[in-house]
Amino acid sequence: MAEETGPPPPAAAPPLPLAAEALKEALGDRLLEVKPQTVPPIVRLAPGALIEGLTLLRDRPELRFDFLSSVTAVHWPKRERPFDVVYHLYSTTRRLRLAVKIDLAEGEEAPTACGLWPAANWHEREVFDLFGIRFAGHPDMTRILMPDDWVGHPLRKEYPLEGHPRDHLQYREVGTAEHVYNYGKAPIRGFGWKKEVEKTGVGRG
Amino acid sequence: MLRTEEMEINMGPQHPSTHGVLRLILHLDGETIAGMRPVIGYLHRGVEKLSEHRTYAMIEPLTDRLDYVAAVSENFGWCGAVERLMGVTPPPRAEYLRVVLAELQRIASHLLWLGTHALDLGAMTVFFYTFREREMILDLFEAFCGARLTTNSMRIGGFLEDAPRDWLARVRHFLKIFPGRMKEYEDLLTKNRIFVGRTLGVGVLSAQDAIAYGVSGPPLRASGVSYDVRKATPYSAYPEFEFDIPVGKNGDTYDRYLVRMEELRQSCRIIGQALDRMPDGEVRAKVPKYIKPPQGEVYHAVESPRGEQGFYVISEGGEMPYRVRFRAPSFANLQALETMCRGRLVADVVAVIGSIDIVLGDCDR
Repeated sequence: MAEETGPPPPAAAPPLPLAAEALKEALGDRLLEVKPQTVPPIVRLAPGALIEGLTLLRDRPELRFDFLSSVTAVHWPKRERPFDVVYHLYSTTRRLRLAVKIDLAEGEEAPTACGLWPAANWHEREVFDLFGIRFAGHPDMTRILMPDDWVGHPLRKEYPLEGHPRDHLQYREVGTAEHVYNYGKAPIRGFGWKKEVEKTGVGRG
Repeated sequence: MLRTEEMEINMGPQHPSTHGVLRLILHLDGETIAGMRPVIGYLHRGVEKLSEHRTYAMIEPLTDRLDYVAAVSENFGWCGAVERLMGVTPPPRAEYLRVVLAELQRIASHLLWLGTHALDLGAMTVFFYTFREREMILDLFEAFCGARLTTNSMRIGGFLEDAPRDWLARVRHFLKIFPGRMKEYEDLLTKNRIFVGRTLGVGVLSAQDAIAYGVSGPPLRASGVSYDVRKATPYSAYPEFEFDIPVGKNGDTYDRYLVRMEELRQSCRIIGQALDRMPDGEVRAKVPKYIKPPQGEVYHAVESPRGEQGFYVISEGGEMPYRVRFRAPSFANLQALETMCRGRLVADVVAVIGSIDIVLGDCDR
């Protein structure tokens, strides 16, 4: 057991100018925006430059953003390009965080980051599951949190929070367990059922 | 000549040693793991969707239910994220109390892990011992806020109420007896021939793999990477305390055990310092009655007992967040399971799942 007691290694230079400069140099005008004030700082790239940018951020010795914390998406339905995909990076050697964003049009595919970090695999599956954004080149683009036969992508803004399951579920026909898979199609008694039972006498236990 | 081929079998979602509703589709070559596909989502409750339709204060009880064995850490992270978004700093006493609660929670969570992990490996006594001390911590939580598991004791800006009278003395009493109890666990396990045989060299995860898979928390540190959010990007009152980050060498199941045992000690050390220097005064900062953070976004990470617990909050200036993303450490850590298990035996899968300490509520959200 080795124990680490010393203070964190000091950052050699302020993180963002360095990253932004390197990205600017490599990508030119495909680096769309830099927001240094947020926590963590945000850089916005053109979708086509994403993999190039992430590779640079991961591999440059003075940057080394080698830890992919999370990949997620945000739906902005009013925008022309309604989806943001957000990558949160962390540098284990320099102890800094950075967010990288790209925007996507409806139906547009994002390039996968699985080649850079195997960690991206599940995160991108989750984004596909909940937002319907596909990642080009992903080895296993399937749902992860919702059931495989779920219809719709719940974290889109137009997806309702409440409602009857049968409006959202379309279960597959499976010969052996039809009663289970047809669950959503059977009428379900709402909160008024007790009154109805008292009135009609039908359904009393 | 017998025909041999790979067999596909299901482990879970009701298998007791998968610690919740985790289903593993194992591909077996004889009894050796040739491949594995974890299937998750059985506990998905759509908390992120729900959060878009709740006010900031109403989301806090939801965060309790994410990682239900470490609710304090979740509250801590959520409140910290919203406070950072609003630019509010809780008073020092509140920060210290939060640290005390969070470290008690870390001890409770690690004790639950230790008991069940040892139980999986056939050592039943440890389970009773660790639950004895975990019960003491849950009693402390109950005295603090009335709840044992889903505590929800923090508020955005601090606490609703100060700690009850004598509560800090009770914590001190716990600190006094706990090191002796820890010795009991270690006597039972650290040099136990069966335990060592089941864990030493099992489920090795190299530092490169751990980083590439986004593994955080004790499994990452056991692989030799000293990344602890409390030190790396400090939050709350953590910069004011002295503590060490234990790291392992081999990245195997036994190292993950050693790292967590040392973390128990370090947590006690932090709580001791916090009690010694506990400031007086208010426990809640001035926050508006209706919490409406300005437009903006924040990614705030805390070190939960399982690793980097991230909270990505986007505010559009309204009383409900526009988007909330919970970065679940269990979700990321579970991805590395296949790498750790490939080529090992089925029985080792049980040891490895135990050693990464997943909580499916956290994983599936």
